[in-house]
Amino acid sequence: MTHTVKIENRDNSLYEVDAKRSLLESLREQGVDLPYGCKYGGCITCAAKLTSGKVDQRRQVALNNRQLNEGYIILCVARPKTDISLKIGVESHDKLYRNPFLDPLKPHELKADIATSKGEN
Amino acid sequence: MDKSCCGPGYASPTEAIKAPRENLLYTIAIYTGTGIQKPDYLATVDVDPNSPNYSKVIHRLEMPGIGDELHHMGWNACSSCHDDANMARKYLLLPGVRSNNIHIVDTATNPSAPKLHKIISGADIKSKTNLSGPHTVHCLGSEIIVSMLGDAKGEAPGGYLHLNKDFEIVGRWENSMGSIPFSYDFWYQPRHNIMVSSEWAAPNTFMPGFDLEEVGHLKYGRQLHFWDFEKREPIETFYLGEDGLVPLEVKFHHNPDSSHGFCGAALSANVIHWWKDDQGKWNWEKIIDVENEPHPDWPIPIPGVMSAILVSMDDKYLYLNNWLHGDMRQYDISDPHKPVLTGQVWMGGLLGKAPEVNGVKMAGGPQMFQLSLDGKRLYVTTSLFSTWDNQFYPEIRENGGVMVMIDCDPENGGMSINSDFIVNFGNEPNGPSRCHEARYPGGDCTSDIWL
Repeated sequence: MTHTVKIENRDNSLYEVDAKRSLLESLREQGVDLPYGCKYGGCITCAAKLTSGKVDQRRQVALNNRQLNEGYIILCVARPKTDISLKIGVESHDKLYRNPFLDPLKPHELKADIATSKGEN
Repeated sequence: MDKSCCGPGYASPTEAIKAPRENLLYTIAIYTGTGIQKPDYLATVDVDPNSPNYSKVIHRLEMPGIGDELHHMGWNACSSCHDDANMARKYLLLPGVRSNNIHIVDTATNPSAPKLHKIISGADIKSKTNLSGPHTVHCLGSEIIVSMLGDAKGEAPGGYLHLNKDFEIVGRWENSMGSIPFSYDFWYQPRHNIMVSSEWAAPNTFMPGFDLEEVGHLKYGRQLHFWDFEKREPIETFYLGEDGLVPLEVKFHHNPDSSHGFCGAALSANVIHWWKDDQGKWNWEKIIDVENEPHPDWPIPIPGVMSAILVSMDDKYLYLNNWLHGDMRQYDISDPHKPVLTGQVWMGGLLGKAPEVNGVKMAGGPQMFQLSLDGKRLYVTTSLFSTWDNQFYPEIRENGGVMVMIDCDPENGGMSINSDFIVNFGNEPNGPSRCHEARYPGGDCTSDIWL
């Protein structure tokens, strides 16, 4: 089964990708030049912003809940569940990095293993 | 000692200080996390003041792939096998923190143009040792150990990768991690049969960036670990508490008979000192406490973030950085219990005290540094780690990293920025890159250990 990926910041270019493979692997194979590092979902280097559609990225351990809420996905482990639209590369990282002293996380915005549920603040 | 008999390095720290001046140095430079789709590389910098290329990058050895995040380096051999004429300081090991690959670079065949000798693949390391996140490299006589900050899935505590002199994986070096929760830096002092290790965090915690709240959730370290070096197992742990949040770089005195050592606790911005007393008991104390500094735009005062420390080869001075404040400091540690501040210079940082150095706009602050063996020249770079740079100094994407040289006075103390030297990695041919750790071909103040 395949889905269509639209890359908004590459002239809305379209790619057909396998639903069972990581987006990083599928897109790089088709010539999309993407950053990456660890290739297991732990290091954030390959983060991209999902603007529509759904992915399965249960294996990622790099993103905190705020980054997830901003739409970030980890391409090296994310697989498409529907047709999706993305912004890729550091151009999509405007909300990925923040000064942790100036802009603290709320308890529900931490990483999943230590976050409280939203009502518990 | 008959010098013709000898292997790499020097018979003693005193001999090392007399070595010829460095003519070139190596620093890693990264594109990982910068938005530039090029491999990280090893840059050769000409530091011979009589050369027409002084203060310039004269060679770039690119890694085969992108995304390694080169960070720290280490030699295949140092003064710890000075008596072994079969060994030579020929290879520099360049671990990729994110890729897990370890690159072995031949720096001896042509020192100004090093070449790749071998790669130990990250996948191979994971499958044979269940380790990832390579950091500190120390040679160990003729063999090599590398601190690894995580298991194959990037979770703490990691362990120690053991390589033989042909760079084959022997396996895990340690016999036990005991109850150690995190790994980072380590240094050993064999005459006391001791190794000390520190704690950063799991790769999965620090690689994506720094969430301050995770310190409170105990995702970052605050302990030092003392090891029985021969038995390869931890024997004692010092809980440093609030005085030792995120203890990073570990240095012993170079004098192999000394039991004194130091660690910089990055977030607390303190220097921790340890020593063995007359009863053979290890003790620790805080000897330097850099106060947080107020900033008009910050809700809380800015911590120094003391990410590195270094001890001069004569054991007289300790150097430290405050990456967020922007200063480099020199302390006289002749009495290691009572350090005296003898020098301070500013380069970059968030306090705005030195936004430009030698005409170059600074992004970042003083970060890694390497001191010449004679203690007179300190080379300082500005980038910490791609994701952390991106959080604290986002302008480094456009500006790149910088290497500055500080003249140090080993006789009377004191430091000043050298006005003739600056390497602006913002002008690199493939775009702004970021330099980090530096090494000299003849050995340096952060590698050699005497047995």
